[in-house]
Amino acid sequence: MRRTLTLVTAFVLAAAACGGGGPAGPGEQAGKAPDKSVQPASKIVFWHSMSGVNGDAVNRMVENFNKSQSKITVEAIFQGAYDDSLSKLNTALASNSAPTIIQVFDIGQRFMIDSGEIVPVQAFVDRDKYDTSDFEPAVINYYRVQNTLYSMPFNSSSSILYYNKEAFKEAGLDPEKPPKTFEEVTDYAKKLTKKDASGQTVRYGFHQSIYGWLFEQYMAVSGALYADNGNGRDARAGKVVFNDAKGKTILDWWKAGVDGGYFWNPGIDNDGSANAFNAGKSAMYVESTARLRGHINATAGKFTIGTGRYPRPANAPADGGNIIGGASVYIMKSRPAEEQQAAWEFVKFIASPPTQSQFQADTGYYPIRKAAYDEGPSKEWAAKYPQFLTAVDQIRQAPQNRATNGAVIGVFAQARQRIQKAIEEVLLGKSSTKDALDTAAADVNAAIDKYNKTTK
Amino acid sequence: MPVRVSPARRALVYLLLALASLAVVFPLLLAFSYSFMSESEIATYPPPLLPRAPTLDNYARVIATIPIGRYLVNSFVVSALVVLGQIITASLAAFAFVFLEFRWKTALFFIFLSTLMVPWEATIIPNYMTIRDLGWLDTYQGLAVPFMATAFGTFLLRQSFLQIPRDLRDAAVIDGAGPLRLLAMVVIPLARPALGTVAVYGFLSTWNQYFWPLLVTNQTLMRTTQIGVVQLRFEETLRWGLLMAGVMMIALPTLALLVLGQRQLVRGLTAGAVKG
Amino acid sequence: MTFPVGRATRRLAIALVFLAPSLVLFAAFVFVPLTRTLYISLFFTTPTGRLAAFAGLEQYVELLTSALFRSGILASTLFALYAVPFGIALALLLAVLANQRLRGINFFRTLMSSTIAVSAAVGSLLFLMLYNPSLGLLNYLLSLLGLRGIAWLQDPGSAVVSLSVTTMWLVLGFNIIVLLAGLQGVPEELYEAAKLDGASGAMLFFRITVPLVSPFLFFLLVVDTIQVLQAFTQIHVLTRGGPVDATRTIVYSLYLDAFQNFQFGFASAQAFVLFLIVLVLTVLQFRYIEPRVHYQ
Repeated sequence: MRRTLTLVTAFVLAAAACGGGGPAGPGEQAGKAPDKSVQPASKIVFWHSMSGVNGDAVNRMVENFNKSQSKITVEAIFQGAYDDSLSKLNTALASNSAPTIIQVFDIGQRFMIDSGEIVPVQAFVDRDKYDTSDFEPAVINYYRVQNTLYSMPFNSSSSILYYNKEAFKEAGLDPEKPPKTFEEVTDYAKKLTKKDASGQTVRYGFHQSIYGWLFEQYMAVSGALYADNGNGRDARAGKVVFNDAKGKTILDWWKAGVDGGYFWNPGIDNDGSANAFNAGKSAMYVESTARLRGHINATAGKFTIGTGRYPRPANAPADGGNIIGGASVYIMKSRPAEEQQAAWEFVKFIASPPTQSQFQADTGYYPIRKAAYDEGPSKEWAAKYPQFLTAVDQIRQAPQNRATNGAVIGVFAQARQRIQKAIEEVLLGKSSTKDALDTAAADVNAAIDKYNKTTK
Repeated sequence: MPVRVSPARRALVYLLLALASLAVVFPLLLAFSYSFMSESEIATYPPPLLPRAPTLDNYARVIATIPIGRYLVNSFVVSALVVLGQIITASLAAFAFVFLEFRWKTALFFIFLSTLMVPWEATIIPNYMTIRDLGWLDTYQGLAVPFMATAFGTFLLRQSFLQIPRDLRDAAVIDGAGPLRLLAMVVIPLARPALGTVAVYGFLSTWNQYFWPLLVTNQTLMRTTQIGVVQLRFEETLRWGLLMAGVMMIALPTLALLVLGQRQLVRGLTAGAVKG
Repeated sequence: MTFPVGRATRRLAIALVFLAPSLVLFAAFVFVPLTRTLYISLFFTTPTGRLAAFAGLEQYVELLTSALFRSGILASTLFALYAVPFGIALALLLAVLANQRLRGINFFRTLMSSTIAVSAAVGSLLFLMLYNPSLGLLNYLLSLLGLRGIAWLQDPGSAVVSLSVTTMWLVLGFNIIVLLAGLQGVPEELYEAAKLDGASGAMLFFRITVPLVSPFLFFLLVVDTIQVLQAFTQIHVLTRGGPVDATRTIVYSLYLDAFQNFQFGFASAQAFVLFLIVLVLTVLQFRYIEPRVHYQ
């Protein structure tokens, strides 16, 4: 037994030694771009989270890049959904097997910056004097923090209102005039809700899933900040501020609709929510612009889909607007200079108008360059899905300010989940909107404190 | 329950059996049905039970979307490796606990049992760091080795070995057989049902793993079936039919194994009865 | 049982050779990681997993005094209370039903134990489909009966039940197989004799079947409890710990803290506490319930 004990102790010490590491260094150790003369590596690895139709689109993009030149081969690997992929990145970084370039979701921005493991795209932009003037402002401003573009936007979407035109006609509403404000949505929803003889609701007027992103969008179109210090963009965010009057208005409206029986509550199941719209269980709903094509395909022959602007409170200021969502790609610092160089070549390809246009046509995401809209695939797409025009107008017309650029906080995933819990509390009647938001803010602030303590 | 039953009673029993079986297997039947339906057919209300225009599109799409063949192969290899490892380690350990006299036998047996009580979640974070440090990410050994020892299997085999008649053991010893020969020539053949049980249970548990392979594999081509299933979910456009087709393709090999192994399983558990 | 070898040390050495493969694997993948978990739990960590500062027992204190921990204990307890006893009872009834000597009985046995071949991920997805409040079959069937649909996953109370039902279904196959084996160990003569004495079906069940199968019932109690307390996939697929943290068991919180919030130190403390809880629970089961088990 004594021998076993010694062995165990040895094991423990060994285990503690490796993988433990010393105290963390300074948070932001952003890398520098390699010198222009460095030859790009012949093979780089690209981690992404796109599956299905979108996965095909990514593979096509990578194939086109590989075929367009003979110096660099990109290997694209699907790594599961965004959160799984990020967990894996953590483990890969610690074992020095990180990919060269990785797609990370929008809200992972602060985490990536603080990791000290990336080479900001800005470094390359500055080195090569790369022209970013043609980039879609709403898109690029999300990923620019304190004038530094840390990553290249990859797939961008926003949120809009989808509605059933036939249901509108049936209820005596103009199918070309979707509701624009909270009050109008409520009004329309009441008219669109249909009950059967026994009082069971056959079709609801409106629904939205309990999804933190939708709340963030509502804050932005209300002209409200999510976090302090300019939404975490002027300086590191110290706390969240979504528990203000504007947050309360959003939840009050949401709750009133559900309680009134004309808003349906699908819970957190986003896919179930989308499916319910397809099946005609409710006449209007809000979700990502990227779902448009899927909806049109699933409802072909059943009903016509209309799209409208994302609803906002009637008294929303003029400077409110939608945020961009989606993901961007980061170049990893731990890889050799040659690979970083090759990654930049791939990034430039990604951002080129023809690639962006093709990507839009394949997936339904926004192109990140305005010039892309002039390319063939985008034009065909616009002709086929005129409903997407709403989405384009929406981001083009959104004023650019801290609120509409979106928040940057290190604990965003946690915050989003905590907001979802707050919404559940409100809808279930377990808490007033004010209390729910206040306790949520308190919890998230505690998390931010913890986060900031270990990343300063 | 007693043997002589009237025809009426027998019919009743069959009816109950049929209803119970149907209730249990219903979700699987539904998945089977949905796998042949198109998206717009599924997204209708009332929810359909049988496809009106069955199509193989979903199956074709699964094959085109994820490398399901590779996933099935990977799962099979890893499961087989685990089973092999478990049979060896558990047989050796159970043999020692039953046929050898040594100090601290009880303490060591308790140590074995205690591993059953350690939740896997309590060790998963350090474990993938270990596998990472060993450079075993994205390898079959990384997927299989942590599971090659089994307290459950050891326990079960111990029970089974305990039932081998003394005279058989003593006869072999008198013939001059060493411990390994005893194990190989006498014990193992007699404990076949229990070994079959350990094998089938080990295979199915490994086949059904989701979280460990998810953590430990980064390369798509090293991934296993359960991850493949979940991969079919993360699409901007939900496709239940596609998902159900994937589910069917992954569940079917295990269902086949179950049919083959079911008799083995019951017999094995009887022989290695947990009677204390 | 004694092997005619010489000294005690030699016997121990030989035994250790046989035990070594298992022990080495257990040490490497169970005990050392457990110790490492304990070690990490004493530190604050950075989001990328590096140790940042010594925390001592601070994270344990924070954990044990947090409301989330208390609700996690409640969620885990409810979950186990719903899923384990009912799952075993249902399996026993079905196993008794399937224990007849009838033609084609193996077909029915296979069908009833088919859930063992379904992984938690797959089973959860199937139930997600069934539980869908507007398109799922369950609510549709209810509506045919003129009843209102149930918010299976949206209401906190129902969510725990729905999760338990899914878990019961997943474990049903295994439970039935084990109990079938147990039932086959009950001698027919006992039933014959009792029937001659005029015993009813219920008496046969409670006086003969249950006591003689109790070793297996106990086995399932221990094993199923451990499995349910460690269940993760069902929660991840169906409820993500909600609604309002109703299904946020300790295991799920552990997942969220480690893999969503990247708080490894804190997650490690949770992991170690979970281990202690399961250990204590199992020991309690052996101490207080096993004595009531009827061994032959």
